Amino acid sequence: MDAVFDLAGVALRLPVGGGVREILSDVHLSLADGEVYTIVGASGSGKTSLLRVMGGLTRASAGRICFRGVPVEAPPAGVAFVFQDYAGALLQWRTVARNVALGVERSLGKSECGQRVAESLRLVGLEGNAGDYPWQLSGGMQQRVQLARALAIRPSVLLMDEPFAALDAMTKAGLQDELLRLRDQTGASIVFITHDIEEAVYLGDRVAVLKGPPGTIAHTFTIDLPQTRDQIATRESPSFLRFRHEVHDAIRGHA
Amino acid sequence: MKDRGLVQGTGGLVVFLVLWEGVVRSGFATFDYLPAPSAVLAALGKLAAGGAFWGEIGHTLLAALLGWAIAALVGVVAGLALGLSPWLRRYSLASIEALRPLPGVAFAPVGLLAFGFSLQMELAVIVLPTLWPVLVNTMGGISALSPRLGEVARSFRLGRFEATLKVYAPAAAASVLVGLRLSMSLAVVMAVIAEMVGNPQGLGYAVVREQQALHPAEMFGYVFVIGLIGILMNWALMAVAKRVLPGEFGRPLAMEAGAR
Repeated sequence: MDAVFDLAGVALRLPVGGGVREILSDVHLSLADGEVYTIVGASGSGKTSLLRVMGGLTRASAGRICFRGVPVEAPPAGVAFVFQDYAGALLQWRTVARNVALGVERSLGKSECGQRVAESLRLVGLEGNAGDYPWQLSGGMQQRVQLARALAIRPSVLLMDEPFAALDAMTKAGLQDELLRLRDQTGASIVFITHDIEEAVYLGDRVAVLKGPPGTIAHTFTIDLPQTRDQIATRESPSFLRFRHEVHDAIRGHA
Repeated sequence: MKDRGLVQGTGGLVVFLVLWEGVVRSGFATFDYLPAPSAVLAALGKLAAGGAFWGEIGHTLLAALLGWAIAALVGVVAGLALGLSPWLRRYSLASIEALRPLPGVAFAPVGLLAFGFSLQMELAVIVLPTLWPVLVNTMGGISALSPRLGEVARSFRLGRFEATLKVYAPAAAASVLVGLRLSMSLAVVMAVIAEMVGNPQGLGYAVVREQQALHPAEMFGYVFVIGLIGILMNWALMAVAKRVLPGEFGRPLAMEAGAR
């Protein structure tokens, strides 16, 4: 089966001041259909840059990035971003429904677009908030709006940049379970960046540890926890704790 | 709630007018040409009964609105272009900064020479200075946008035109509106000045005419009317803005955040 994303030897160098800074170096990864791939690393290790390169927002300096076999030059169709700062990423002057419509209102007819928006809002449980403005909603709800906006384009991949980092623990746990449910419902692959090791293990089918700068994938763990995860049972299971330990060690450099 | 704010807001004005009336009537201070507010009101009543008064209002209103509309259109388009294109900014920012401080009033004699006693002369005098607030605020609004919005537009594969229309321009709307409001009050001021020093029509000319005819009550009457026009135009602009940009209003402001 063809990989959804395929990266080989990816490097990113950006001019900083008078010199050149190496942000990413020799990154290899391949993403399977329906997989949740979490990338964990310290801040400054190049996590966000890697995601931007994958999504076509930044051009890599070297290496090959393919989305479904096609080299990525610009943001490809079927790839949707979810950013950490929901307040900055949502269009504050648009209602929830019109925010969700942003990616599809041009390509779909009016009634079809309306249906798609309603469907996406239903997926994230915001069908009652279509007419609200983002600033009237809580942080968790705003992040759901951003998720619905991404889902509206029926993406085959969601690229998520620390999407739950700004939320409180309870909201965060709820959204983690919701995300896994959405993966099951839509079949979308997810690349999920976080600096929270537990979150990476809980969500991930695989966890990649990015070390840097320059960022490179130092370790990849296949998380063979049961497919259905549970905030209490999973987090207290011995294998969860073992993975957490191993990822922790990998980040600190003991493994 | 809103109406109570309006009543409270006019409190200061009422106190001022009452004091003024008292000072003039009591003879506490005597000025030859300072009429009491009641005399001004009476003069206004007489003016309103005549035909010329409404024509004068209409003329100034037309000149100010027309000039403002031209400045707004040019200012928003140029401001968008300059805000979106670093290249364009690089080549024109110095010229803009050099032209902007030129006092608009100084163009009145130039406009008079170029266009004679005409509406065009008034428009020239109005448009030049009113252009800047719109242009600078639009440009500033665009260039102050967070890069995140650009990434959102790109990741959803919006074209440049679509992104400008749907993301950048609306995101800068609040700051464009500030420019439009500044320009609007300036447009009334410039219309009146143009009529005072150039085109002998409208409210500006009427103020000068009544002054020279030693009719202070009528003169003050016209001054009040000019002030009232400024208030009404701003109110109308805000009413339109609230309809067009419903998402911009009602959002809590930074300084109110803690108070609620």
